[in-house]
Amino acid sequence: MADLLSLLQQAASSLNAHRADAATASNNLSNVNTPGYARQRAELEALSPADRVGGTVIGRGVGVLTVSQARDRFLESQIPASLGQSARSSAQSAALESVTALNPDGGAGLSAAFGEFYGSLQQLSQNPGDLGLRQAAVSASQGLTLAFNRAGQALASARTGIDANITGSVDEINSVATKMASLNKQIAIERASGGQPNDLLDARLKAQDRLATLTGAVPIPDAQGNIGMALPGGAALVSGDRSATLSTIPDAANRGHLAIQFTGASGAGPVTAPAKSFGGSLGGMLDARDGALATAERGLDTLAFDFATSVNTVHSAGFGMDGTGGRDLFTVTATPVGAAMSLEVGPVVLGDPRLFAAASTASAPSGDASNLLAIMGTQQQALSSGANATTALSSLISQFGAASSGARSASETDGAINDQLQQLRESASGVSIDEEMVRMTAAQRAFEAVTKVVKTADDMLQTLLSMK
Amino acid sequence: MRVTDRLIFNNAIVNAGRARERDLAATQEVSTGLKVTHPGDDPAAAGLIAGYRVAISQADSVMKTVQRASDETISADGALDGVGSVLSRARELAVQLSNSTYSAEQRAAAANEVDGLFREALGQLNSHVGNRYLFGGFADSVPPFDATGAYLGDTGVRQVEVAPGVLQASSIRADVAIKGVNGGVDVLSTLTALSAALTANNVAGVQATLTGLDTGIAQVASARSSLGSSMSLFDAAGEAARAHRDTQTANLSHLADSDPIEANSRLALAERALDASLTAAAASFKLTMLGKL
Repeated sequence: MADLLSLLQQAASSLNAHRADAATASNNLSNVNTPGYARQRAELEALSPADRVGGTVIGRGVGVLTVSQARDRFLESQIPASLGQSARSSAQSAALESVTALNPDGGAGLSAAFGEFYGSLQQLSQNPGDLGLRQAAVSASQGLTLAFNRAGQALASARTGIDANITGSVDEINSVATKMASLNKQIAIERASGGQPNDLLDARLKAQDRLATLTGAVPIPDAQGNIGMALPGGAALVSGDRSATLSTIPDAANRGHLAIQFTGASGAGPVTAPAKSFGGSLGGMLDARDGALATAERGLDTLAFDFATSVNTVHSAGFGMDGTGGRDLFTVTATPVGAAMSLEVGPVVLGDPRLFAAASTASAPSGDASNLLAIMGTQQQALSSGANATTALSSLISQFGAASSGARSASETDGAINDQLQQLRESASGVSIDEEMVRMTAAQRAFEAVTKVVKTADDMLQTLLSMK
Repeated sequence: MRVTDRLIFNNAIVNAGRARERDLAATQEVSTGLKVTHPGDDPAAAGLIAGYRVAISQADSVMKTVQRASDETISADGALDGVGSVLSRARELAVQLSNSTYSAEQRAAAANEVDGLFREALGQLNSHVGNRYLFGGFADSVPPFDATGAYLGDTGVRQVEVAPGVLQASSIRADVAIKGVNGGVDVLSTLTALSAALTANNVAGVQATLTGLDTGIAQVASARSSLGSSMSLFDAAGEAARAHRDTQTANLSHLADSDPIEANSRLALAERALDASLTAAAASFKLTMLGKL
């Protein structure tokens, strides 16, 4: 009698195990498209034998040992660095690709404006007393300053736009780091109570991936089962159940662009973190802003400053048709900083083209173009970079192009590597509908079989009970 | 490799996305006709393109400038040709009326003709193109000679840049060619002297002007020769600028412009690849156990 009842008990635990197996498959199917979800398995295990019959023992059916996750540790160890590198080069490339100020197409570009400027001077030099040609020269001068203004503004706007992205990114980093620290804590509690917190582990891995993408941080597991996150500079962004905080502050030494401050998980700080402390998309944005874009902005400012200064030097040595000298053609800043954005034609010459200093003496008649020819000579004059204005502009464009091209190439390479790793991760941890349908059908079949056992045991009990 | 459903979908997204990206790039190249639209497309070419654009613009300016300068020198040469004709006619009269067979009345009549020639020479020497007088040097806004033949211009020689750093004179010094500064003869004064000698029936005086007239004719011829040299150089400079512009334009086109045949081939290939990618993705979606169980 007791043996038949144990048969029913065995069937009950087995039914429960197969139901759990089916439920796990069902959960997998439900999460087939959930980002960061790793397929789970109900690990079934034969229960220890209890009944001894004759010289042998009979098992007690099946039970669920645990519900495990499918994760490939080797792959997972490579993914954070890949995510960070891919995000870094992608962010840098996107930022540089979006800048059109130095595009080589015609129209209102700097190269066309330079050509127009010197071309107009050349035409004026043939007949410096012609007011129409004088007006054309002043207009071409203004066209050149506007081209500098547009290019300078575009580069400055690109850098400012990155600042806005950095602000948003820092907010997200703080939020995700806080969440990850909290998940560390919840996972520790869950594990202490003997549970396997698969969903929390998924959520933590998702946060880990996001932080790697945003900052280039890599995971550092500790002995307690926590996952810390260390920034490329070595600082701990997440440490156990605590997280560091990032903030931004304008940096006067960098034209007021935002620097990033770091307040440690212990509350120490804030201290200004160097740009090399960050990778991921944040590092990529800093690379673009303080690298190629800053170089281009400085180069453009230097070109504008040097060019305007060299032209002004010659122009002020000459005389307008009113016999007055000492006037600048361009109004330019005292230093190269911001020169491109603010360059303009001096209001005196702009208002009266007759005051364009074409002559070399105060009493020179209208046909004297000696000083104008000297101004034209500035085109061949070496600027502070050692190159003349046109060559300096070409060099500036090529240098920016090389940076953009390099970032694009790196982005494609890093993106392909990351895609490959993500595919492998999906292959190892993703849910296959086919597999889960088969597994569910198998669990269903097993469940049906065990219900037959219950019925058989019940029949046997009935038979025993009806014997008297 | 274990293939999951999300892997299939992700692959479809990534592959179709890449195919669409290539298709878009090919479409842009075909529609814009440009293969370098951003410095990052070809950094070295982008830098060169900027230089070519400046060079092309300057070559255009050189062409316009030398054309204007050439027009002025042609006008100046025409004016000096007229002055040369005046001097030749004056010399004919001087030779003719040096003969003692002519009467005082005949010489007085010839003096009237010489006065007319003087005025004609003045008119030629005060020629202008637009508002610009050709023989005043830098003082080009007022007539360079007054009614007495006095020179009101300056010693400036106008110059035009025909190539970077290369200057060419586009005017002559009328004070030298006409007024005889630097050891020549004053052509206009010689005409005045001839007129005075004819009026005074002074045969010796008439004969004395012959040397001055000969020298004057040579001076004017020399000035015309200078202008001719400038005209030739302007023509050559214009041609050189045109050739330079054409070369730079070809270089620019080679670097920046897309080859239509290649671009359209790339577009056709990209469209085919996109179609194949979408077809393969759609086919891979169909095969699932969901419909079999």
